[in-house]
Amino acid sequence: MPTVSVKRDLLFQALGRTYTDEEFDELCFEFGLELDEITSEKEIISKEQGNVKAAGASDVVLYKIDVPANRYDLLCLEGLVRGLQVFKERIKAPVYKRVMPDGKIQKLIITEETAKIRPFAVAAVLRNIKFTKDRYDSFIELQEKLHQNICRKRALVAIGTHDLDTLSGPFTYTAKRPSDIKFKPLNKTKEYTACELMNIYKTDNHLKHYLHIIENKPLYPVIYDSNGVVLSMPPIINGDHSRITVNTRNIFIECTGTDFTKAKIVLDIIVTMFSEYCENQFTVEAAEVVFPNGKSYTFPELAYRKEMVRADLINKKVGIRETPENLAKLLTRMYLKSEVIGDGNQIEIEIPPTRADIIHACDIVEDAAIAYGYNNIQMTLPKTYTIANQFPLNKLTELLRYDMAAAGFTEVLTFALCSQEDIADKLGLDISATKAVHISNPKTAEFQVARTTLLPGLLKTIAANRKMPLPLKLFEISDIVIKDSNTDVGAKNYRHLCAVYYNKNPGFEIIHGLLDRIMQLLDVPPGEDKGGYVIKASEGPAFFPGRCAEIFARGQSVGKLGVLHPDVITKFELTMPCSSLEINIGPFL
Amino acid sequence: MEPGWRWELSAVHHLRLRRHTQDDDTLSPALRLDTFKMAMHSPDSGSGGSGPGQDTLSTLEAAMADGPVAELLLRRLEASDGGLDSAELAAELGMEHQAVVGAVKSLQALGEVIEAELRSTKRWELTAEGEEIAREGSHEARVFRSIPPEGLAQSELMRLPSGKVGFSKAMSNKWIRVDKSAADGPRVFRVVDSMEDEVQRRLQLVQGGQAEKLGEKERSELRKRKLLAEVTLKTYWVSKGSAFSTSISKQETELSPEMISSGSWRDRPFKPYNFLAHGVLPDSGHLHPLLKVRSQFRQIFLEMGFTEMPTDNFIESSFWNFDALFQPQQHPARDQHDTFFLRDPAEALQLPMDYVQRVKRTHSQGGYGSQGYKYTWKLDEARKNLLRTHTTSASARALYRLAQKKPFTPVKYFSIDRVFRNETLDATHLAEFHQIEGVVADHGLTLGHLMGILREFFTKLGITQLRFKPAYNPYTEPSMEVFSYHQGLKKWVEVGNSGVFRPEMLLPMGLPENVSVIAWGLSLERPTMIKYGINNIRDLVGHKVDVPHVKCKDQEPQPLGESKEHQQWEENCKEEAGGGPASASCQLTVLEGKSGLYFSSLDSSIDILQKRAQELIENINESRQKDHALMTNFRNSLKTKVSDLTEKLEERIYQIYNDHNKIIQEKLQEFTQKMAKISHLETELKQVCHSVETVYKDLCLQPESLRLRRGPDHSRGKSPPRPSDSQPPDVFVSSVAETTSQATASEEQTHRDGEC
Repeated sequence: MPTVSVKRDLLFQALGRTYTDEEFDELCFEFGLELDEITSEKEIISKEQGNVKAAGASDVVLYKIDVPANRYDLLCLEGLVRGLQVFKERIKAPVYKRVMPDGKIQKLIITEETAKIRPFAVAAVLRNIKFTKDRYDSFIELQEKLHQNICRKRALVAIGTHDLDTLSGPFTYTAKRPSDIKFKPLNKTKEYTACELMNIYKTDNHLKHYLHIIENKPLYPVIYDSNGVVLSMPPIINGDHSRITVNTRNIFIECTGTDFTKAKIVLDIIVTMFSEYCENQFTVEAAEVVFPNGKSYTFPELAYRKEMVRADLINKKVGIRETPENLAKLLTRMYLKSEVIGDGNQIEIEIPPTRADIIHACDIVEDAAIAYGYNNIQMTLPKTYTIANQFPLNKLTELLRYDMAAAGFTEVLTFALCSQEDIADKLGLDISATKAVHISNPKTAEFQVARTTLLPGLLKTIAANRKMPLPLKLFEISDIVIKDSNTDVGAKNYRHLCAVYYNKNPGFEIIHGLLDRIMQLLDVPPGEDKGGYVIKASEGPAFFPGRCAEIFARGQSVGKLGVLHPDVITKFELTMPCSSLEINIGPFL
Repeated sequence: MEPGWRWELSAVHHLRLRRHTQDDDTLSPALRLDTFKMAMHSPDSGSGGSGPGQDTLSTLEAAMADGPVAELLLRRLEASDGGLDSAELAAELGMEHQAVVGAVKSLQALGEVIEAELRSTKRWELTAEGEEIAREGSHEARVFRSIPPEGLAQSELMRLPSGKVGFSKAMSNKWIRVDKSAADGPRVFRVVDSMEDEVQRRLQLVQGGQAEKLGEKERSELRKRKLLAEVTLKTYWVSKGSAFSTSISKQETELSPEMISSGSWRDRPFKPYNFLAHGVLPDSGHLHPLLKVRSQFRQIFLEMGFTEMPTDNFIESSFWNFDALFQPQQHPARDQHDTFFLRDPAEALQLPMDYVQRVKRTHSQGGYGSQGYKYTWKLDEARKNLLRTHTTSASARALYRLAQKKPFTPVKYFSIDRVFRNETLDATHLAEFHQIEGVVADHGLTLGHLMGILREFFTKLGITQLRFKPAYNPYTEPSMEVFSYHQGLKKWVEVGNSGVFRPEMLLPMGLPENVSVIAWGLSLERPTMIKYGINNIRDLVGHKVDVPHVKCKDQEPQPLGESKEHQQWEENCKEEAGGGPASASCQLTVLEGKSGLYFSSLDSSIDILQKRAQELIENINESRQKDHALMTNFRNSLKTKVSDLTEKLEERIYQIYNDHNKIIQEKLQEFTQKMAKISHLETELKQVCHSVETVYKDLCLQPESLRLRRGPDHSRGKSPPRPSDSQPPDVFVSSVAETTSQATASEEQTHRDGEC
């Protein structure tokens, strides 16, 4: 969930009234926001870097507000205020207009070289804007918030904003070899080639996270004006030449990316939010983008879409009984201008360009419910009559767990993920023999594979509890995973029961006795006939030679029991003899 | 049995222990933060060594060893009116004071036989050096005496034990003088003929208990010379108790089968139990706390008629985990940073292809009334295998199966199982945790229904005051976070996440259009951590968990909301529960704030310090209680060990007795046999004697015939009995007697051993 940080006083000024913290918190809750924290710049710095560094920082109260991840229109003060004012019916939702310039339209020409790296670009112009320091900061902050969220850390879309008065169109969006790109980037005093820049930015805490997007690509995307001035090298950095300041009056905005839809949404959001400060409020000057195929489009789209929803559908989905008129009013409060049309049951809803999150009637239903107030909805129990059933495997597990504890064994809960070493080397097995599932992107060796046996987890638990008085009697009933090409995903869980006895003597008879008890509980008689169970001498690398037996029940092998091999004991950093039992309980269902 | 480990801290800030209400005046080891001054009552605080701390430690031994003293004490007490002083009694009886104290303790332990009041008196006592001087005279006197009239070389004098100290004192007393002009070095001569050893006299006075006869100045001078010391003597003023009796019999500790059969229990006194001691925990297995809470949640769902979904597949394809849920392929959750993908098997082998096509169309182009996400949906991306990030993938499979069954039947499903996230681990985040999920699918379900069923569910957890906040989850719309009012914090905190599954998820599965599916979810770990007061999730899950921790935390889970844990739960539920039924993991983040407190320098206000001090003290008290339990257990096991050992010893003694008995029996038998033989021989001898006598008489009468018959008599070996001839039987008899007496002695010996 993105968090937007706004100055409280500025917010109240824009809202036209003040709130207590509690009142504002309440308002947020109702609207689906969350007042996460009330703080100040000073507090933040002192918390992160200590009081000394915070000495000169601002005391201005900041509200940190959590915004739903799909509401890009609420990612800045301007959007938040507009949303809340409309919600409280203090203003009507503004209508955003795209206008053609009096003079020549700004053009951005995309060359075909971009196709392989970052094929899409959109652009627009904010004309005669009036910034203040706060507005400027908000403008920069919104770009950053968009970059982090919908733009997926600039991978899908990257935004560049430029002082149009320092440039001359038409602009060219192309891709070049890194060594052929040379310009003075933002906040630097001299020119660098793209190769040099990539090296410099490796140590830049902010920019290093974006380098991977184009690094190692033969061509880097770049935008030039007609004089060969570099506007930006998306998605890394803008040129210093066209940088915007508080005094900038005309802004050229370009968004490049790999996702056309998202690039259009991002552009719409920026221009709808900040056209408020243009001389002609809420109007945006169009820009023309020419694609490599020669087709030309005008942006921003600022598309208004009409949706029809029947009033009774909304009532039925929410569980309320409101008149269509009231529902239309509720939706209008959610920035969705609505009116009742047709037979009086149809509601026509206008989806503004700011509400890209509305993609289905259910989104409209939700907004109606929010405006109605979730907590005003009558709670009712669904009349869904059903008979409960347990998942048989879990039912058996629950029954066995209680009896294992009653038999004096203590239950442990170990991780399903572990290292290769745990399930192979330490048990004297080769990893290929385990048929284990391997994880491709583990952060540590602890998560290399899914366990194929419960034994390592139990032995590690003993190792962590060596100080406990002996004997240690532990068990776990949980799932292990084995590769299996007969399943749709190629792997299968098996429910295992594992128990270990750790003492000065191996205690095979105790583990064997436990097996007898388990079989008694499972109603499996001893003996080979009539679906009984029997243990037969066997061997396994984890077991001491001659001290291992395989368990056969109902005609199939279900597991092994025995005294662990001294090597296994040592590898798990244990010192005492230990006997163990591990069976698959699936066959006993 | 409370050893002297009680700390007392008293009262500037009036911090009180929460738990010491009933322990206040008992001997409990509880700490009190009542003062900044800490006074530790250690057993060695007085010369008698009978500080309050030792009170009961010695009882056991004392009761065993002080029988005779206790009896004496009781007799004296009976004769006295009022009472006795333990020190005086010791002096009268001529025994160590400690022995009397021991007797007092053992009598106290019997109940109301006596009353003993601890008194402390100060008195003067000689130091070891002082005693020596009282006995042998002061150093100066000894020096004086050692000088013969002709004087002594100073060097020689200095070699005497009292030389150095005595010399200077004797000089200052002007008893002696030094002649430095002597030929072989300085020589010391007496100045006076005799002297009075005042120091010795004074010390003897003190030794005689007449220290008060000395002046303050004299005492302090002697104290400076380290000859005298003021000691605090702790004595008991013993008086008759309400159950006073001189005939105390040793109390029985336990009822035995013999006592029951003989009825002797009626007449025997029994030692009182110490009910403050801990019991011996039963030897049993334990269930894991997290899984106990899991069982509790399962129970709730089953009570509400929910059927358990199969969730036994940790490995899932991206398709079921994300795509089927209408979660776009560029969604951040599908990042390598958040999800464990598989290298082997890297891709799902089978997907339901016609369904996949419908999902693809919905994502990339829309449909079912949706605009879709309008991006290029890739099958390869959907095939990628991963460790499921939520159990909602299992719900998706269950709903898909449900959609294939015609006609549609309403269902209520639940699941509680492991999910996996490639997260950075910390105190509240693990790579795997458990997710609880509930799903209802029926015609015409509304948001009101979702709220209604949530109310029922949380009521069963004991959470009754609910409120709902609009939220965003990728696959539910509308979505609502569930908040509960926290009485303690006076605010609303989040307890779960919920929503109505999007039509874009349900319709491609083939579910009828008017069927709605409502769902909610929460994590299992968070309520469990809150319930058991665990701050670090690693203390709950994984192999590093303390098994004793598991044991002590495995009390029966209470309904979460009925106890104060509920409040705590909510207190910790400040943050979001995460993305819908899916991302219960985020719920774990709530505890971060709590642990952060400990490191924030800003928060070190007095309140926090006090709280920490309180916590510290509670910890100390807790560990003391543990120590106490340990001691109790140790004592118990010691007792069992000792009694076992005694039993074994006894057995061995009896064995030896048996062996000895056998030998004795044998020897005795032999002995009687020999005796019979001897008496037989005796009669024979008598007869022979008799005949010899007759023969002799005959011979005397007929001397010739005697001389003739003598030879053959001799050769027949029937010589007359002589004392020396009876030697062998005699030796035999005495050796038997010896063996017998030896056996008796060894019997006695072992008996004594046994008693010891």
